[in-house]
Amino acid sequence: MSRPRSDDNSVLLVHAYLDGELDPANALSVAQQMSQEPALAAEAERVKELQKLIHDRLPREAAPPGLRARIESSVGGTRRERAKPSWLALAASIVLAAMVAGTSTWLVVDSRQQPMQVAELLVSDHIRSLMAPEPVDVVSSDRHTVKPWFNGRISNSPRVVDLARNDFPLIGGRVDVLGRTPVSTLVYRRAKHLISLTAVPADGAPALNGGPRSINGYNIVRWSENGVNYWAISDVEPKELELFAQLFRSSQNEL
Amino acid sequence: MSITPLRPRTGPNSPDGPPVRLVTPGAQESIGMLDDNALFRTVVMPYIDEAYRLARWLTGNGTDAEDVVQDASVRAFRAIRSYAGGNPRAWLLSIVRNTAYSWLRKNRPATIVSVDDLEAVELEHGRLDERHDETPESSLIAKVDAEQLRAAIAKLPAAFRETLVLRDIEGLDYREIAEATEVPIGTVMSRLARARRRLLETLRQDD
Repeated sequence: MSRPRSDDNSVLLVHAYLDGELDPANALSVAQQMSQEPALAAEAERVKELQKLIHDRLPREAAPPGLRARIESSVGGTRRERAKPSWLALAASIVLAAMVAGTSTWLVVDSRQQPMQVAELLVSDHIRSLMAPEPVDVVSSDRHTVKPWFNGRISNSPRVVDLARNDFPLIGGRVDVLGRTPVSTLVYRRAKHLISLTAVPADGAPALNGGPRSINGYNIVRWSENGVNYWAISDVEPKELELFAQLFRSSQNEL
Repeated sequence: MSITPLRPRTGPNSPDGPPVRLVTPGAQESIGMLDDNALFRTVVMPYIDEAYRLARWLTGNGTDAEDVVQDASVRAFRAIRSYAGGNPRAWLLSIVRNTAYSWLRKNRPATIVSVDDLEAVELEHGRLDERHDETPESSLIAKVDAEQLRAAIAKLPAAFRETLVLRDIEGLDYREIAEATEVPIGTVMSRLARARRRLLETLRQDD
């Protein structure tokens, strides 16, 4: 089997596919090409192995302690400024923090937000995603692609599990905004229906109780796990959505 | 090189909008309201870990990386007004990268590969590419430990290394990598494919 050159367009597209960079139409055509050309399928396998190896062997280390303090003192003035806050600047920095939240900052979800409000917001996000040109921002059935995609967009990368064997294939993920907090939403498919699964960090707030089981015909299943509130929203039958939730919760195959 | 269009960015990093619009009207103006220190704390300080890791991959050790990040932070602070409300992580990483390269030119001139050299490397690698190869990867690289992997990545030419690190370790998307490394997305794609193949090649030879 001869290996296509690395500057071959189809090879670049296989890499882009695995990196979740293709639009749905191109992702589909690359997936088809891979199923027909063993050389491309082999390329994809190698890249996935390599990515897994890097992920497993090279944890991302933090900057050494003290570096931040040295930086603050070398640019100067930051401490003085902190001691005497300008309220205008402070207010503006909150606006700016909200602005850059998409790339790193995790704003605390208002813990006073009631389950009903959260459910309303998430059902709206689900409906909006169905009306958008595509329901996800990263298209991939590979959880090793979807999970890292959230890195840098939100600070808590969600738990992503593969439920394709149970006929709930992963479609991809997107960032929804709850109030002013970006949250991760995974999208799974059941027959012709989509399921939005949103992970909302509880931030120490007590587990939510109650909340609606359906809004506008969309069924809602909610549970809490490891300090995260999960919301599954879909127009599949309630039983199916319960099954999805059970499968997701009992799935151990995160890595 | 013809590249099939990548999906349009609609995420929060997109300058062009929906579905997630985090840049509220007035956010641009609010940058103007912030003093330099507040802006620096919001734009630069959250990304010191990323900055340190990139500097470490580029310089090859932690002590030099700390110097580079400190130097880059000062440059970022001086240039903070040029931050135009785009992606702060890519903005900072591009400064870290430039700082690291000028630091290397000054302190480790032997390690700098010029663009001409890089082209030669790419040509040579193009030939490598055509080798036939049927070895299943998993059996080989399952035995690779962290040190071997780190050494193999360190051996990559800098342009390949930074691209691979930003994608496969830091998880940046192609657009962010293009911004941080100041090359077109097509170049990001070809460097990434070559970096990954070259890395696999090295790991296989180590075995």
